[in-house]
Amino acid sequence: MKDRQLETKLRLIAVQLDSWKKLHDLITYGLDKAKPIISAEQERQFTDLRGQLLQETEFVLRELGILGELSGKAMNVLNRASSVRGVRDLTGEETRRLEADWNAVFTKLGVTQGQLKGRRKQLAAQNPFSYYFQRVLRRRAVAA
Amino acid sequence: METRLLILNPDPVFEDRALSIFDMIDGVETRIARTLSEAITILIEENFDAFVVEEEPTVAIEQATNVRQHFPSLRILCLVPCKIDKEQAAAIDQQALAIIVTTQRESRLASLLKTFIGSLDSTGSTAAEGIDPCHSLIGNLNQFSAAEILQMSCLSQRSGRFTFKSGRGNSEIYLQHGAVRHAVFGELEGESAVAEIFRWRQGRFYFEEGIISHEQTVDRPWAHLLIDNLQKLDETLELVSV
Repeated sequence: MKDRQLETKLRLIAVQLDSWKKLHDLITYGLDKAKPIISAEQERQFTDLRGQLLQETEFVLRELGILGELSGKAMNVLNRASSVRGVRDLTGEETRRLEADWNAVFTKLGVTQGQLKGRRKQLAAQNPFSYYFQRVLRRRAVAA
Repeated sequence: METRLLILNPDPVFEDRALSIFDMIDGVETRIARTLSEAITILIEENFDAFVVEEEPTVAIEQATNVRQHFPSLRILCLVPCKIDKEQAAAIDQQALAIIVTTQRESRLASLLKTFIGSLDSTGSTAAEGIDPCHSLIGNLNQFSAAEILQMSCLSQRSGRFTFKSGRGNSEIYLQHGAVRHAVFGELEGESAVAEIFRWRQGRFYFEEGIISHEQTVDRPWAHLLIDNLQKLDETLELVSV
C-alpha cells in the first residue's frame, strides 16, 4: 500500500536534493581556479537555481519536519553563494564554512530520504487491512 | 514492469496536483525535469514510456511540439490548467499529442491519468532476446552508434536486414546494395523510423546477410539520410544547451 503524505515527502526531497546537487556543481566550478571562464549562461543557471531554492527550501524542510535543524544552514549557503563569481571571491574561511553548511544540509536530506524510503518499503509489504488493524492494536487502552 | 514517465514541470513543489496523483499510481516511476533542455538531455540518455508536460496551453503545446520533432515515437501528454482553443486543438492533433485539463475534480483527473498510463504500451520496455551467434555482424550500441554501423554497411554495399533491440523496442532496417530500402519501428515506417533508430545509444544489433524486403519505404540515398539525421541530432543537442 502507498501513503500519500509519504509519497509527497519523497517527491519533495528528491526535487530538493536535485537542486542542492546542481548548486554544488556550480559552486565547485566557481571555486576551481583552474577554470577561469565563468559564462553568462552559468551565472543565469546559478541565479535560477538559487531562486528556486530560496522559494522552496523553507516549505520543503517544514513539510519534512527538519526546518529548525536546517533552515539556518541552508540560508547561510544561499546568502554566501550569491553568484558563481561571488563564490570565487570568497576567502578560505568563508569557503570552508560554505562547504560545511552545504554538507550539513545535503547529509540530513540524504538521511531523511533513506528513512522515508525505508518506511515506503515497510508499507509496500502491508495491505490496508493489516495496517489499520495494527494501528488499532497500538492504541492505548482508555481507563474506565 | 514499471511505467517510466518523464514530467516537465517548472514548479514541481507548488504546482503538484497531477504529480501527487502520479505518486499514488502503482507501477509508475516518475522523473521530474524543470526545463525543456534538461528534459531533452534526460530523454537522450534514458528510455521513458511517455513524456508529460505540465504548463499553460501555449507553452505546453510548443514544448511538446519541440520534443515530438526529435522523438517521433514518444507518447506525449500535455497537462493544461484550462481548455484549449481551436488552433491549439489542431496543433495537438497534428503532433499526435494527448491532452488533459487538470482543473477538474481530483477523482476525475486521477481516472484520466490512470487511463493514459494504462494506454501506454509496455511491450517495448525490455530488450527481447533472440540474437543468433551465426549472424554476420553482432554488436552493442554503447560502443558503436546505429549511424556508424549503417554507414559502414552502406559503404560496403551490403544487402540484408539489421535488427536493433533496445529498451525502446525492436526495429528493423533493410539494406539493398548499400542503400536503405525499408525501415520499421513500431508504427513508424520509412525515414521517420530511421530517424528514431539513429539516436539510439543503448541496446544491441545484429545483421543478417541476404534478407531483402519487398516493401520499399525509403527511396533517398544513404548519404542524404545521414546528413539530414545528423543535422536533426545537432538540433536536438542544441536544444539541450539552450
